[in-house]
Amino acid sequence: MNAVTAPPLRPTRASRRPGHLRPPSISRFSAVYLWVVFLALFGALQFRLFLTVSTFQVVFSQGAVTAVLALAFLMPLTTDTYDLSIGEVMSLTIVVINWLTLHTSLPIGVIAVMAVAGCALIGAVSGFVVVKLRVNSLIATLGMSEVLSAFQLYISQNHQVAGRFSSLFVTVGNGTVFGVPYLDLYMIVIAGALWFVLEQTPLGRRMFAVGGNREAARLAGIPADRIVWGSLVTSAAIASLAGVMYTAQVGAYTADIGQGYLFPALAAVFFGASQLSQRPNVWGTLIAFFALAFGVQGLTLQFGAGTFWASPLFQGVALISAVGIASSRGAIGAGGDSRAIRRLLRSRGPEAQPAAGPDPGASPQA
Amino acid sequence: MTLQLRHVTKSFGEQTALRDVDLTVDYGEVHALVGQNGSGKSTLIKLLSGYHQPAPGAEAELDGRSFQLGSTHAARAAGLRFVHQDLALVLQLSILDNMMLGRSYPLGLGGRIRWREAADRASGYLRRVGVDADVRSPVGSLSMSERAAVAIARALSDTGHGRLLIVLDEPTAALPAGDVDRLLESIGRLRADGHGVLLVSHHLGEVLGIADRITVLRDGRVAASLPCAGVDQRRLTELIVGHSALAPDTGARQPAARVDADEHAVLRVRRLAGGRVRELDFAVRAGEIVGVAGITGSGRESLAPLLTGGLPHCGEIEAARSVLAPGRPRGVVAAGVAAVPGERARLGVFPNLGVRANMTISQPERHRRWGRIVRGAERDEVEMWIGRLGIVTQGPDAPMPTLSGGNQQKVLVARALRTRPKVLVLDDPTQGIDVGARAQIHEVIERCAADGIAILLVSTDSDELARLSDRVLILAGGRLARTLERGPGLTAKSIDASQLDLTAGPAFAAAAARSEGTEGEA
Repeated sequence: MNAVTAPPLRPTRASRRPGHLRPPSISRFSAVYLWVVFLALFGALQFRLFLTVSTFQVVFSQGAVTAVLALAFLMPLTTDTYDLSIGEVMSLTIVVINWLTLHTSLPIGVIAVMAVAGCALIGAVSGFVVVKLRVNSLIATLGMSEVLSAFQLYISQNHQVAGRFSSLFVTVGNGTVFGVPYLDLYMIVIAGALWFVLEQTPLGRRMFAVGGNREAARLAGIPADRIVWGSLVTSAAIASLAGVMYTAQVGAYTADIGQGYLFPALAAVFFGASQLSQRPNVWGTLIAFFALAFGVQGLTLQFGAGTFWASPLFQGVALISAVGIASSRGAIGAGGDSRAIRRLLRSRGPEAQPAAGPDPGASPQA
Repeated sequence: MTLQLRHVTKSFGEQTALRDVDLTVDYGEVHALVGQNGSGKSTLIKLLSGYHQPAPGAEAELDGRSFQLGSTHAARAAGLRFVHQDLALVLQLSILDNMMLGRSYPLGLGGRIRWREAADRASGYLRRVGVDADVRSPVGSLSMSERAAVAIARALSDTGHGRLLIVLDEPTAALPAGDVDRLLESIGRLRADGHGVLLVSHHLGEVLGIADRITVLRDGRVAASLPCAGVDQRRLTELIVGHSALAPDTGARQPAARVDADEHAVLRVRRLAGGRVRELDFAVRAGEIVGVAGITGSGRESLAPLLTGGLPHCGEIEAARSVLAPGRPRGVVAAGVAAVPGERARLGVFPNLGVRANMTISQPERHRRWGRIVRGAERDEVEMWIGRLGIVTQGPDAPMPTLSGGNQQKVLVARALRTRPKVLVLDDPTQGIDVGARAQIHEVIERCAADGIAILLVSTDSDELARLSDRVLILAGGRLARTLERGPGLTAKSIDASQLDLTAGPAFAAAAARSEGTEGEA
């Protein structure tokens, strides 16, 4: 090893082996328990309807697109960057693909690749605004989402756009293998790839480092700006993939797809960030998403199709409680924005009473 | 007699910060409070402002009326006003809004703010401290001395009293040299208006230039309280440090030629400027530990950020034969310069990662196979460092916030050393950590030097500098003011004394020249 410190210093205490690091806490697996509770509860209430193969198929096939969208949001969040434009990126992809099938004769594969590449470019523009113009990511991507919705309105003329698709493309979106929808397989492949990058590679390490302490990351030689930029390109590309999946499954574009999908995706990522490794992570996101999806499905079955208000209510409460739990534990938002806000709140004290007393946070020097 | 403090004692646990301190400040006088770090100055100010409570038996009166020490409200009601070092200004707000923070604006019909009246009042107070600026302009557009003056004007405007006792805590520490004179003028105006001023400062030149009386605190006691006339800088330094400890000056300002001629230098710095550093030349040889000392504002605090890319620099930094680009930490790391940053929590620690990831973050590629980090190999290396540096942790994957400050610091030291650096830059490496961890880190530093790493040790801890350094560079006014070589003359006391004794730049000289019996240039 390094000659620098070759003769070992006396250790003050032998380090313990890994294994009993953290006590196995219930809250780290709360999404799994919640899932079980939903299955048991609605299973008991709606025995015939709920615990059936078709319920599972419905939830998993309907959920795959949103789950992929959640994974898109997850990537920049690891670097403490928010990308709220993913919903509109997804619906822009949908309208573009539909429109191109009507007005060109390009094969659907080429169209899909073009759409995804174009959306990656949109992500690069968001990245430019966030990194180079130093606009807060929430604001930059919120603005970007309005711009993208303008594109959609222009292309669709505010009408439904129903493209012509080959039967192969429809099968790609609706087929199953051994009862498992193809869409879920795509989801698993994307999730696996992201998990590998985030948890196994040096790049993933650096992304979390940038999210945890950006200035320290920069000083440690990490290209923090480039990483944030890249994470926004990735999120746009994945959101666009979710759009391709949606088109394959459902087909036609209708207005207001994006915003409806954005919310459950955010809820899943924030809830998932309180799970497993207790920072934004891939499997936690998926588990949290499907736990909530089963809850929504159970509610719908319980109260009938007329209770369209049940889903947003449930999602809203879930998001607030998940973020509440996670941020009170410091699991998410440990970086920039929320810290800045906390600092701001603290600093109000002495400024409000300038001559009254010293800043309690002042260092006791001299 | 205006402000009178008698028998003020304060202890924190076992440690006594102040012992039976008496202090008297008159209206129409500038009274300076000086002393080394840890002498009790801050504690005394915090007692006055009501942040700390004194031990029973302390008496305080202002204008003949006794008031309770340790109460913010009582201090304010008695007529004490404070301007703290950070000034507590909101840079985005206007001067007027800053002066009205936490106060009520004059209101007109229907609760409308009478802006004109508020502005007239505010500019009146501003003129009294010698600033003529539009009160609607944002504080961020002002120079540092004008900002300090705004803070003083705000303290003045918060009245109800005819005459006030204004406490200024290190008001010049953050000022560029040229601004100091203007602020001292403002302080002079306060005195002329009949207010009393208690001035806390490290800059002896400035103290001697403006103060009427000086009280010296040493180890929590009043070492001396004497009129300013008849004291010179050397005598004052002796009073602060405790005895005559000025080391012989071994050649101030190394000529650049010698720096260039030094064949073995690994780190070479030429005409470095940036932050508070104005112009600096030095070189560090392989295996050498060079200490850097200086009071706040001397450039000491900017040096490590400049060298490691935290701040953009001008001039040339050459490390291990490559020239560093300004403000690019990546290039610095690649050139073989490793750093342990000051302000551990803000600039070093990743709270969301474990010990292992925190330690290897600069070069996680070392244990990479097929694109992924091989956990077992990485864990083994981290375990080795944990053993080597005696890091007390539950294991290599324990969350970073579960470690004590000293152990977090050791993780950062390991992060720097595992990159096998040729140059190691340490910024206050043992600040705020326990004695055991401090001794271990010192041992590591010495071992690194023995292995041929060039080490730059920037520190506020004079004991540490005296113990480890081959020579100590004393900075003042952003320049190298003196070099203390290893030998019997290099002691913590001599380092302290040199920092205090050195006044640099024409501004300080001008301030010093105002008082008779002061050395012109140290």
